[in-house]
Amino acid sequence: MKINRAFLLLTASLFLAATFAWANGQSESTQTQKVVIKVADNLPDRTNGMGLVTQTILDGFTKAHPNVSFEVESYPDQPYQQKMKLYATAGQLPEMFKYWSFSTLLKPLVDGNLVRPLNRADFSDIPYLPGALDSNVYNGKLYGVPVTADMWFVYYNKSLMQKAGVAVPTTISDLMASIPKFKAQGIIPVVTDGKDGWPLSITYDNLVERLTGSFDTVRQAMARKIKFTDPEFVQAAQILQNMAKAGLFQSDLVTSDYGASRNLFGQEKAAMYLMGSWELGLVSDKSFSQNFSDNVAVAKFPVLASGKGQTNDLVAWYGGNWVLGAKSKHPAIDEELIKYLAHQWGPLTWGKQAAIPAQKIQPNETDSPLAKAILQIAGEATSTSGTTTLDSSTPAFKETHQKLCIELVSGVLTPEQFAQQLDAAAAQAAGQ
Amino acid sequence: MLIYSFLIVFALLQIFPLIWLFDFSLVKSGQLFGPEILKIPDPPQWGNFVRAWTDGNIPRYFLNSVIVVGGSVLGATFLSFCAAYATTRMIWKLRVVVYNIFLLGMVVPIQTTLLPNFIWFRLFGLYDTRIGLIIPYIAFNLAFNTLMFTGMMRSIPRSVEESAYLDGANMTMLLGRIVAPMVAPAIATVSIMTFLNGWNEFIMANTFLASESLRTLPFAVIRFEGQYSSDYAIQFACMALVAIPPILLYFVFSRWIMAGVTAGAVKS
Amino acid sequence: MHAVFTNRKAIVALTVPALLVMLFAIVAPILLSIYYGLTSWAGFGKLTFVGLRNYRDIITADPTFWHSLANAVILALVTIFIQNPVAFVIAAALTKVKRSRIFRTIYFIPAILTVVVVTRLWVSIFNPNYGLLNKVIHALGFSQFSVAWLSNPSTALWSVIFIMIWYGFGWALLFYYSGLMTMSPEIEEAAVIDGANRWQLYTRVVIPYIFPVIQAVLIIDVISSLKQMEVIYLSTNGAPGDATQFIANYLYIKAFMYSQYGYGSAISVMFVVIALILTLVTRGLTNRNPGVEL
Repeated sequence: MKINRAFLLLTASLFLAATFAWANGQSESTQTQKVVIKVADNLPDRTNGMGLVTQTILDGFTKAHPNVSFEVESYPDQPYQQKMKLYATAGQLPEMFKYWSFSTLLKPLVDGNLVRPLNRADFSDIPYLPGALDSNVYNGKLYGVPVTADMWFVYYNKSLMQKAGVAVPTTISDLMASIPKFKAQGIIPVVTDGKDGWPLSITYDNLVERLTGSFDTVRQAMARKIKFTDPEFVQAAQILQNMAKAGLFQSDLVTSDYGASRNLFGQEKAAMYLMGSWELGLVSDKSFSQNFSDNVAVAKFPVLASGKGQTNDLVAWYGGNWVLGAKSKHPAIDEELIKYLAHQWGPLTWGKQAAIPAQKIQPNETDSPLAKAILQIAGEATSTSGTTTLDSSTPAFKETHQKLCIELVSGVLTPEQFAQQLDAAAAQAAGQ
Repeated sequence: MLIYSFLIVFALLQIFPLIWLFDFSLVKSGQLFGPEILKIPDPPQWGNFVRAWTDGNIPRYFLNSVIVVGGSVLGATFLSFCAAYATTRMIWKLRVVVYNIFLLGMVVPIQTTLLPNFIWFRLFGLYDTRIGLIIPYIAFNLAFNTLMFTGMMRSIPRSVEESAYLDGANMTMLLGRIVAPMVAPAIATVSIMTFLNGWNEFIMANTFLASESLRTLPFAVIRFEGQYSSDYAIQFACMALVAIPPILLYFVFSRWIMAGVTAGAVKS
Repeated sequence: MHAVFTNRKAIVALTVPALLVMLFAIVAPILLSIYYGLTSWAGFGKLTFVGLRNYRDIITADPTFWHSLANAVILALVTIFIQNPVAFVIAAALTKVKRSRIFRTIYFIPAILTVVVVTRLWVSIFNPNYGLLNKVIHALGFSQFSVAWLSNPSTALWSVIFIMIWYGFGWALLFYYSGLMTMSPEIEEAAVIDGANRWQLYTRVVIPYIFPVIQAVLIIDVISSLKQMEVIYLSTNGAPGDATQFIANYLYIKAFMYSQYGYGSAISVMFVVIALILTLVTRGLTNRNPGVEL
């Protein structure tokens, strides 16, 4: 019986495929001159903000080293994190990528030997803010270059506030009282990214502090010295839930992702935007109207009239960083790249008004009013929070915290249930 | 008459979302927030489509989809045809066991295989290649395709094959010249369903491909989320562009799909 | 005579390539998942063997798992008891109507689209600020009904189920239409001559005739209800809370977002087991001829 022709054909094609795959692998090493470096980040918009800064830096490096070119992968925030985790699993992390210094994100990579330690001396001449570089140190070694000093506050649109006849709220009750005035004008009072949950978690931290007057309260609960079921935590949860119930946020809060919520603010459908200092680039985003750019401003997170927290207690932390993957064919070039990036980052980021870098900067007369306002808030801060609760433990705890906050604002959980489950999650995370 | 009006209302329900999509892909982005249900684009912003086409990298993604899906259609159709014949018509001990192994493919969720395959394919150099996507596409379609072919093959009387053999046909000729034409509707159905499954598939394409140059068409829509998250009209234009090829193909092949489903599904 | 059908070389040649592909891309990962299900692992880094602890936690301590399973079952029931009868009725109507081709074409178009487009389109339609649905509701004067469809815990699940039903409708319609068209008019005429009214015609004659099609569609519906993932992933990702969580999506986020890869693998093993059981049950419940092979 003749051997089936088709079977032969299939085997041949499998063989061809394998050869092809092998050939692909070979071609890289035969090219001695040209170097292609893989870079990844969560900044898909290369025309504005940090995306533009990153691209400018990469282009600048190529100009200085013509044999080096880059292959860049950019995704929005959450898909980006998932992709990086996937790469970590396959041991295929890019040569340089943007990440976060938290124990929920960077530490697992450090433990898995997936990121390369950096030479601290390379960065000693950069005027980093206190604690910025240290937040990237694990086991005594430096693993990342800090990107921004992140702060949490309330952006607002002056013209919309005027239209509704609302003054900038300084207390939570002011905020709540403004809701009917905005609704009467068909304006959403406050928007934030409810789908990803972390803005809600950070706001929760902020509320706890506004109640108790100290950022240490949540830290103690995480260290299991006190419990999340204590009254102050339940009360903070009640406040957050009341905000949602009273219609403070957009009605599709929990399905409104980062881009969607930012849009609602930029398209002037919402008066206020609860977000961090890295959105400084709002003012120069070309997709929004000139009216928006002229009217966007920022205010400190409101205080609770009955609470102990002060207006100058600021939720601030060092979050984003750039790291080097451990596996690389050109470690020397990578190290030079990250050194170049670190030196360019501060001046460029501030120059393009993209975000607040994690270094001391020279304010200029030409800075946008928004930038000036943020600098002022930063300057006036009397106490800061450090790494937020949700990023101070395990990845599973982070997801749980986010999910509980989402359930709290949707009314699926009562504040007591929220507190109970949060405490259980903290206990479990501490036990590991 | 009543039947007609009911059918028309239902047709509107099925198609109106698409009409809305195409309509608002031709307006300026901010106009989506207005109260109109449908807006006559004035002037029609064809530029949205142009930008979606170029910035969305649609030609390249389209080509990749064609290559990947084409490969998987050929592979899945061919392999399941052979496998179905062997497990339906041939007589051997492990026949039912093997048949059930193929059917297993239907109950396995793709997510289960994502991470193991991600690691495992890398060993073979299949990560971030089109072949690395074609192989699982074939695998996941084998179950249903084999089922389709089995159904149809069962209805062919053995006598046809036996007389062909008596006339001197070997296995290849038997399969190619006799059996294949008789199950042509099933071949059509299987090809088309494999095509649709692959064309629309998203999770595996997202996970197994990393390079821009290799990505498939569904990714074009995702791509717009970060960069153009504020420009709804362009997002709509991109979705419209991605929706058009399958619709066109459907209009061309609708008869075949009908015939195939009739023959394959009904007989099984 | 039998030589053709028992030729070993031919059998091997015909089945081995397909088997290899199956083993490579499906069976191997399942075996790996069974192994990983017994571990605690983030997908990289330290891997610890924990035995059956994941399975125990899933069954006894994981309300999300049962909720997502329940949602999948609800979807299956809605598909079987709402989508299918509607599809059947419309298919029957189409067999009687002259211009059925244009209708069939239109009804099938949603099924042709890629899931990314369908989901994003419906997310836009359901958007409370600029979405089509709320605009229509306003225009009709029912403003009090314009809610945030995908964010409100009471409407989220049904909205998501609606998307899935809308998307899959064309296939059900196609299968039933094809099945009905294979029935020769004589059978129907004979029944009518015998005095059957419309109800009796359909329940006693037509449905039993196309029963194999119905059974096939039911099994496919049950399995695809369990497998639903992309629609959720691209729309609500399970929110609010677990209201719209489906089991295939849950296993994905446990592995890739919670970094609990071992746990996610355990869920997927349970998924396969549950799917197999449900398939057998559906077949058993709908089998008319127990002697029919597969």
